[in-house]
Amino acid sequence: MVVTPAVPQIHTIEQLLKATALVASFISILILVWYLARRPPLGRMTKVMLLFGLGVMPIGVSLTGNIAGFEYTLKREFCGSCHVMLPYTQDAEDPKSTSLAAIHSRNGSFGEESCYTCHADYQLFGAMTTKVNGLKHLFYYVTEYANTGPYGEGGKPIHMYRPFQNTMCTRCHSTTAPSWTKVDDHQGMLEDIRRGETKCLDCHTGDKIHPRAFAHGGSGRPPATTASAEK
Amino acid sequence: MISKLTIRRLVLISTITTIVSLGLMVVAIVFPKPLLLVLAMSLGQLFGTLSLALYLLAIVLDLQGVGEHDEIAPHLGLDKPAAREGDEKGA
Repeated sequence: MVVTPAVPQIHTIEQLLKATALVASFISILILVWYLARRPPLGRMTKVMLLFGLGVMPIGVSLTGNIAGFEYTLKREFCGSCHVMLPYTQDAEDPKSTSLAAIHSRNGSFGEESCYTCHADYQLFGAMTTKVNGLKHLFYYVTEYANTGPYGEGGKPIHMYRPFQNTMCTRCHSTTAPSWTKVDDHQGMLEDIRRGETKCLDCHTGDKIHPRAFAHGGSGRPPATTASAEK
Repeated sequence: MISKLTIRRLVLISTITTIVSLGLMVVAIVFPKPLLLVLAMSLGQLFGTLSLALYLLAIVLDLQGVGEHDEIAPHLGLDKPAAREGDEKGA
C-alpha cells in the first residue's frame, strides 16, 4: 500500500528553490497587505518592514524563482507543454520506441533533459543563445501553431533553424573510438565527418531520430498497440 | 511640488506594483507554462525593479526631509515636524 505524505516532499534543488520562492512571496504579500490595510505612518519600523516586503523578499523570489524556472525549461516535460512537440516528446519517453531520441532519452546522461542536451547551443554563451531561441520558438508557436490539431496537425512542418552540427554527436560518439572507426560506413568518410562536410544526419536521418514527426513522414500520434491492431 | 502626500503615494504605487510582480512570478512557479514563464521573467522583473526604485526614491525624499512643513490632514497619520522656535503654524 502506497502512503501519500500529507506534506509535499522536497527531493530536488528545483523543488527547494520553488518552495523558497513561494515562502518568500507569501511573507512579502503579508507585509504589503498589512501596509495597505493599516496604512501606518512611515516611521522607522514601517520603513524596515516595507524594505523587506518591497525589496528583500521580492529579490529572493526573483532569484530563486528564476533559477527554478530556468532549470525547469531544460526538461523534456517543458518542451512537451507545447502540443506541437508531443510527437517528439512522447516518442522520446516511450520505453518501447527504438528511435534515436528514445534510446538517448533512456541514457542516464540525457534522462529528462534529452531535448536540451542534444539541441542546446554550446560554446561560451550557448545557454543564453538557447534561451533566446526559446523565445523564437514561443513566438512561432503563438503565431503559427496555436490553432493546429492536438498533435500539431495542419501546421507548417517543424524544422531546425540551423543544420544539426556533427559536434553534437561527436561530443559522446568520438570519431577516434575503435567502436566508431570500425564501422564500414564511417571509415570511408572519416575526414569529411570530422570536418563537418558530411553530416551525421545524412545517414542517421530525421525519421530514425523522431519517427513520429510530421516533417519526417510520421503521423504525430503513438502507434496503435498490438491488441488494438489485432482487432 | 513634492510633498509628504507624494511620498505616501510613491509607497502606495510601489506596493501595488510589487503585488502585481509577485503575482506573475508565483503563477509562473505554480504553472510553469512557456508563456507564463516569459511574462514572469520579463514583466514580473520589470514591475519588481520599478517598485523597488519607487520605494527607494520615497525613502530618499523622506530622509531629505521633503514636505516636512506641509500642512497635511492629520487623519492621514503622517509624522508632524517638531515645533521650531519662532515658527508660526496654522491650526
